[in-house]
Amino acid sequence: MKRLMLLCTIAGRKAAIPTQDVSSVIEIEAIAPVPGTPPHVAGLTALRSQALTVIDCRVAMGFESAGDPVGSRAAVIQQDGHLYALVVDDASDVEEVESEVEHIRGGFGPQWERAALGLVETPGGPVVVLDVPALLGLRQSEAA
Amino acid sequence: MDDLLADFVAETREMLEASGGEIVAWEADPSDRARLDAIFRFVHTVKGNCGFFDFPRLERLSHAAEDALAEVRGERRQADSALVSAVLAIIDRIGEMTDAIEAGREFPEGGDDALIAALEYDDSEPMSSSAPLGTTAEDGAASDRPAAARPQTVQRSIRLPVDLLDEVMKGVSDLVLARNDLARRLRESDRQSTLEQPFERLSALLTGVRESTTRMRMQRLEHLFSSFPRLVRDLSNELGKQVMVDFEGSDVELDREMLEMVRDPLTHIVRNAIDHGIEKPVERMMAGKREIGMLRFAARQSGNQISLVISDDGNGIDTDRLAAKALAAGLRTADEIEAMDERAKLDLIFEPGLSTADEVSSVSGRGVGMDVVRANILKVGGSIDVSSTPQNGTSFYLKLPLTLSIMSSLTVETRGQIFALPRSFVDEIVFARTHEAELVRAGESQLLTYRDKRIPCIALEEVLFGPSAEPLDWSRKKMLVIRLASDDVFALGVDQVIDHEDVVIKPIAPVIVQTGLYAGTTLLDDGRPMMLLDMPSIAAMHGLVAETRGRSRSDREEGDVAETAPSFCAMLYRGLDGRQRAVRLDLVRRIETIARSAIDIEGGRAQIVIDDTLVPLVGHEAGELPPSECRLLRLSDGHGELALIVTEVLDAIDLPQELRSAEGNPDYEGIALVDGQPIPLIDGHRLFARHDRPVKDCAQPTCRLPHDSEWARTILEPLVVAAGYTVLRDGDQRSDVRILIDEDPSAQQDADAALIHLRSSREARGAEDNSIYRYDREALLKALASLRRENAA
Repeated sequence: MKRLMLLCTIAGRKAAIPTQDVSSVIEIEAIAPVPGTPPHVAGLTALRSQALTVIDCRVAMGFESAGDPVGSRAAVIQQDGHLYALVVDDASDVEEVESEVEHIRGGFGPQWERAALGLVETPGGPVVVLDVPALLGLRQSEAA
Repeated sequence: MDDLLADFVAETREMLEASGGEIVAWEADPSDRARLDAIFRFVHTVKGNCGFFDFPRLERLSHAAEDALAEVRGERRQADSALVSAVLAIIDRIGEMTDAIEAGREFPEGGDDALIAALEYDDSEPMSSSAPLGTTAEDGAASDRPAAARPQTVQRSIRLPVDLLDEVMKGVSDLVLARNDLARRLRESDRQSTLEQPFERLSALLTGVRESTTRMRMQRLEHLFSSFPRLVRDLSNELGKQVMVDFEGSDVELDREMLEMVRDPLTHIVRNAIDHGIEKPVERMMAGKREIGMLRFAARQSGNQISLVISDDGNGIDTDRLAAKALAAGLRTADEIEAMDERAKLDLIFEPGLSTADEVSSVSGRGVGMDVVRANILKVGGSIDVSSTPQNGTSFYLKLPLTLSIMSSLTVETRGQIFALPRSFVDEIVFARTHEAELVRAGESQLLTYRDKRIPCIALEEVLFGPSAEPLDWSRKKMLVIRLASDDVFALGVDQVIDHEDVVIKPIAPVIVQTGLYAGTTLLDDGRPMMLLDMPSIAAMHGLVAETRGRSRSDREEGDVAETAPSFCAMLYRGLDGRQRAVRLDLVRRIETIARSAIDIEGGRAQIVIDDTLVPLVGHEAGELPPSECRLLRLSDGHGELALIVTEVLDAIDLPQELRSAEGNPDYEGIALVDGQPIPLIDGHRLFARHDRPVKDCAQPTCRLPHDSEWARTILEPLVVAAGYTVLRDGDQRSDVRILIDEDPSAQQDADAALIHLRSSREARGAEDNSIYRYDREALLKALASLRRENAA
């Protein structure tokens, strides 16, 4: 089954987000911090008169933050009627992926394990497919 | 009635529109069973409704069409084009009549028979299907119903899914924000002059579109009110009451969604009003009111709010009983209640776990209370308030925001960031350095003394960013006095109060909701997101909500009473002798304070006048009566009432089912230990047994006395009446018991009545004589009582 994936980099590693979840890729212009929220919530940003909840993927997965996300690229996704901007190190391309999402014995390491759906092969090598709801903290990752 | 009628018209028209397609399809293929069924259902429904509204012509037409269609359905008749046309003609006529009903016009007489005849028409004479229709048209033209007037009375409508409507609404509010953004960018750019005019035009258009989309979502209150006359009719019938409904401001428009949200709360208020508020006709007459109760709805739009008042002219809310219930349910302590004014007591009605009805009735039930009503109203951003005058009625005041998504808010700044909070929560803005406000510290907490009240303070800075390392400079803060719907008051310290503005509230992601700090977000004109603070949740997180209630209940749970032990509720009081006793709470109807002069004690008889009735008094023998005012517990066993006089009502307490024996004191059910103190529990059964009076009801046995005896009338009659008999004078009626004086027992035989013979002489005349000496009170009463029992059996 062919699927389109947005290829991005998080904490120096390649990752993929299924494009059916992604509505666009933006550059974060300004962020209004929201005090009292968990550390991975960087704040709110406005996109075409809508408020997006900015999620720092690095922090959500347990890595060190790369600092202020302003100027970083972010994938805009919609989940349960809410819009989120997932801040990544970089977002490169949308690629067509042919292989199925596979589970890897031994996992991907504690941080990646939290938000990984599995592994796919791309022309550029294997990448981890992100489990968006798990990344948002909405549920536990399905990866074994 | 008008509202029901409007519903009928709307329903008929809706069905008419829906069946329009069916009719056309049926015409194309008369054998199509599904179409036939749909049309049958339509005429059947119309027929049913007509019966209810007394529209004989409509009923006759729909009945005829139904009959004809039933024959086709039963395959006793073939659907031919003539029949189809005839049915169509009738459906058209139904539509025309419905229009006439709505416009309040008389529909021109005649033409119906021809239409019905067309249905029955079978084979021979081929009849032009357009003939009946033609007649109708002529009728119309002949009457004062010009064709041109029709479109005015018929408002065409379509149905839309709410989702679609929501999407459009959302789109429009996004457009407004985009416009604001554009305005800001235009201001910053140099090309302002050339773009200004088209921008203004766009802006004006957008305002227009916004208004009409808002109207799209609006619905007249009429729509909500229309279901009430029926509800009121059914309820009042069920309860044996007479209630009239009056509507004012039915044309006020409300968000459709809001309308649905307030439907249940309003229904509940209506039920309550009829069940508990408005009295039975007899009671109303006695109170000097009209037999028919009045339930009024008045709606008004004021600014960004809709105010809705529901008032009845019933008995009002019994605040003392509310207070007693709150006490009983352990929601408040006796001290708290003592300190309450009328207003505070009245507000208890919104307390969870309270119901003023003594009996659980099928109408009001006990599950959903006014607390749920209030919660639902608050949920949509509204408020509810109540006022009540004893004997004069109760009014509920509802305030509803005009639209769900726009909220009037106050913007504040703290640590350089701007937040909004709903304006409705802000009671006052206080500058800490003025002379009327003073900041004091108590332990670690900050208090604001303002108008002689001490209000707990929290700093928004600490709420949002956690405790700060260095002490806050409270004197530089602006204090907002926040009053929650629960009437809990606290002060919120902020760095700066900026402005107040109407903001479009958007939902926030669950991860932000989880903080409990925010209720939504909105975009400022410059496109920056701003968070809306969730004041009730923040207050709850800082322990500023209803602390006392929570505490008193948990204290009780930790007390001597084991949680698993079965217990019951009792009212603890101090008697006139200063000793504490308890009485089962179920017996207590209410607590009352009454003047000393209302008490009448003479010999062994003690009574008190309450509301113009004499109630037996108990508890007075324990000690001296207080000099002026007496506290009373009014006890009831469901039939009779007793007034228990006390020095002080202490508290409602839970007592274990297992009591210690009262050691031979028959007045007590047992002894309970409360905080190490022995507390005797009054034996309710014994108390009422001592003061029971014969129950007066219509099933009283009758007794006939000798009509010519002065002694019988003056001396005997009161005794017989006191024994529970009705004394008959009219000679025709049959009596249950007959009393004879000095007559020969063998000579007088009355087949109907049981006889009691009295004699004037002290001595019996012989062994056979079973008569009773007329002053032998005991024997006479015994005889009357035993006959009464036989009679009852």
